[in-house]
Amino acid sequence: MNHRLLSLLLGAWACMLLPMAGHADPVRIGSKQFTESVILGELARASARQVGIDAVHKRQLGGTRILWRALLQGDIDVYPEYTGTLTHELLKNVPANADIPTLRARLKPLGIGITDSLGFNNTYAIGMRADEAKRLGIARISDLRRHSGLRFGFSNEFMDRNDGWPGLRRRYDLPQKDVRGMDHALAYRALASGAVDAIDLYSTDAEIPYYHLRTLDDDLHYFPRYEAVYLYRLQLEQSAPRFVAALNRLAGRIDEQAMRGMNARVKLQGVEEGVVAADFLGLRADADGHPELWSRLLQRTLEHTKLVLISLGLAVLLAIPLGVLAARLRRFGQIVIGLTGILQTVPSLAMFVFMIPLFGIGAWPAIAALFLYSLLPIVRNTHAGLVGIAPELSESAAALGLPPGVRLRRVELPLATRSILAGIKTAAVINVGTATLAALIGAGGYGQPILTGIRLDDIGLILEGAVPAALLALIVQGMFEGIERWLTPRGLRLVARQ
Amino acid sequence: MTLTRVALQDSESATTSAFAIRQVSKRYGSVMAVDNLSLDFEAGTTTALIGSSGSGKSTVLRLLLGLEWPDRGTVSIGGHPLEPGQVLQLRRRVGYVIQEGGLFPHLTAQGNLALLPHYLGWDAARIGQRTKELAELTHLPLAALERYPAELSGGQRQRVALMRGLMADPDALLLDEPLGALDPIVRYELQDELKRIFAELNKTVILVTHDLPEAAWFAERLVLMRKGAVIQDGCFEDLRDHPADAFVARFVAAQRQLPRVPR
Repeated sequence: MNHRLLSLLLGAWACMLLPMAGHADPVRIGSKQFTESVILGELARASARQVGIDAVHKRQLGGTRILWRALLQGDIDVYPEYTGTLTHELLKNVPANADIPTLRARLKPLGIGITDSLGFNNTYAIGMRADEAKRLGIARISDLRRHSGLRFGFSNEFMDRNDGWPGLRRRYDLPQKDVRGMDHALAYRALASGAVDAIDLYSTDAEIPYYHLRTLDDDLHYFPRYEAVYLYRLQLEQSAPRFVAALNRLAGRIDEQAMRGMNARVKLQGVEEGVVAADFLGLRADADGHPELWSRLLQRTLEHTKLVLISLGLAVLLAIPLGVLAARLRRFGQIVIGLTGILQTVPSLAMFVFMIPLFGIGAWPAIAALFLYSLLPIVRNTHAGLVGIAPELSESAAALGLPPGVRLRRVELPLATRSILAGIKTAAVINVGTATLAALIGAGGYGQPILTGIRLDDIGLILEGAVPAALLALIVQGMFEGIERWLTPRGLRLVARQ
Repeated sequence: MTLTRVALQDSESATTSAFAIRQVSKRYGSVMAVDNLSLDFEAGTTTALIGSSGSGKSTVLRLLLGLEWPDRGTVSIGGHPLEPGQVLQLRRRVGYVIQEGGLFPHLTAQGNLALLPHYLGWDAARIGQRTKELAELTHLPLAALERYPAELSGGQRQRVALMRGLMADPDALLLDEPLGALDPIVRYELQDELKRIFAELNKTVILVTHDLPEAAWFAERLVLMRKGAVIQDGCFEDLRDHPADAFVARFVAAQRQLPRVPR
């Protein structure tokens, strides 16, 4: 019985692993999870195409830390960044007003290159509804001091960064207590609906004119300059010099007006980032920027099932033996079930991010995280299935004079089949759902359109990820019920019926 | 795999004990299941262990099979002390049948029978031959072999369990309330058949039951236990006519609703 299960899993698994081996080496571009970064990523990709370099764009991989680490580790070759982030967040002991040549000298030992400014300064700003600001007589950030009851909704990154809210509060001595972290795209809507009174924003955001917002004067000059640049791995100068030259040709070509215009086309008019970027360069958009719905779905389904099946397969290989040992050795069992239980309590997003230092970005850290989540249900159900065997049955097997290994294979595991399969099914269904978060670290799958949909406030896109994910969960559930019928010995089904 | 064959009967002397228990104590938590017990079971005889539930009679069987290990004292089989390293081989020389059979529900009757022979490396023909012999002995219809335990009647399940215990032709049979879960008519028929089978096989048989007439029907020697100790050891008439104490008298008297014990 268990041979069948094993060969089934191994077979499905090998099919998934094959495409992962041996692909060509295109330039890998990353972008952060906001629209401007994605557009700049697409601009880099279009520039590569212009000079005949093969490039892939891993969209909206995550926040600054994830992109920076991915660049240092060589998981990506290029991503758009801002000078203010480099001086305040990423590099230590750099003057706050350091210019680009200074930064270039500091980045070189890290193997990282930097272009000149692309031409715009996208600094942080604090924004309020224009009518509200007028009513309260607020024009400068220092005016906020007089209104301690105002509610702030800041992007999570702004909340935590040294050059974000903590420093701003100190510089201006702001008294507000009601300060919440939220997604940047949602913050605009919260502001428009009056749920918060002020938010952080970027000076190139398309929403500033759209929502009739007022950006408050930074009268104490707190926010540093955030000149847009590309960071790239210096080895590209050897492996793809034409691409580096193309990136540098973009420098100085995008002013604030142009960037705000591109942001507005994507966010407010729903044009694809790839199309906007191609238009800017005077190119025709390629299919990669805008694949057909069905081919998008197919690709994401492949990515998603790959994540689920590989992680589940690995988990089965480890968790069933662990469950068997746990059933044999009481103390060991308590420890194993306790530890896997603790793994289960790690929030999924944190788990995915923890895996990045170990596995980089992309599918493998996601698989590692899903693998860890899959352990508990399988270990627990294997353990429960084995200790739940009627004592007279295990004893009859022992009394026959069969050695423990034969008893396990011929009697105990078959009797525990249902429980073990139920555990695998639980793990699989949970994995299908959790794997949608894997898009945050560049693993693709159904989470990709959900992320983009949240960013662009596009319900259709969110459904494009959420509906197939729900369907896949149902299919997995149904498949396992079939497998259960196939693998459960007929004699046990008879017992269950009686 | 090398099988050390451990003989239960010593070929040199005909009257060696098949099983011997020497000053054995076994405690489960605060309950003394077996208390400084010594017992011998001669090869080729049938003995019934009787007593109320909790008297320790099932524990004796479990000690003889190495399913439990004594806290104190020794258990020996065929003159050899029972040791963990030999226990698997020894169990294969002893058939064990429990109440309701203990058949594996995921295997057919045939699958249950073949489990040990398969492991011992018998070929299909040998397994089939042995199955047929035992089906004849136990009067099990051959069609029943293809069925799962859940599809068998209670009496058929006990027959299959007995066959499973006898597959490797053991020297001894240990039965723990083998007929306990059967309705009275089936039980009555199986009592007849088991007695015939024991007589045909001529093996060392130890049978645990709480039913005195059943014990008397099967065995010359009755061992009455209470609280982990032997109260009386003898034939039925000894127990009936010369009860060792008031408990034995009460135990015998509790059976009087039978007009006559069949002997």
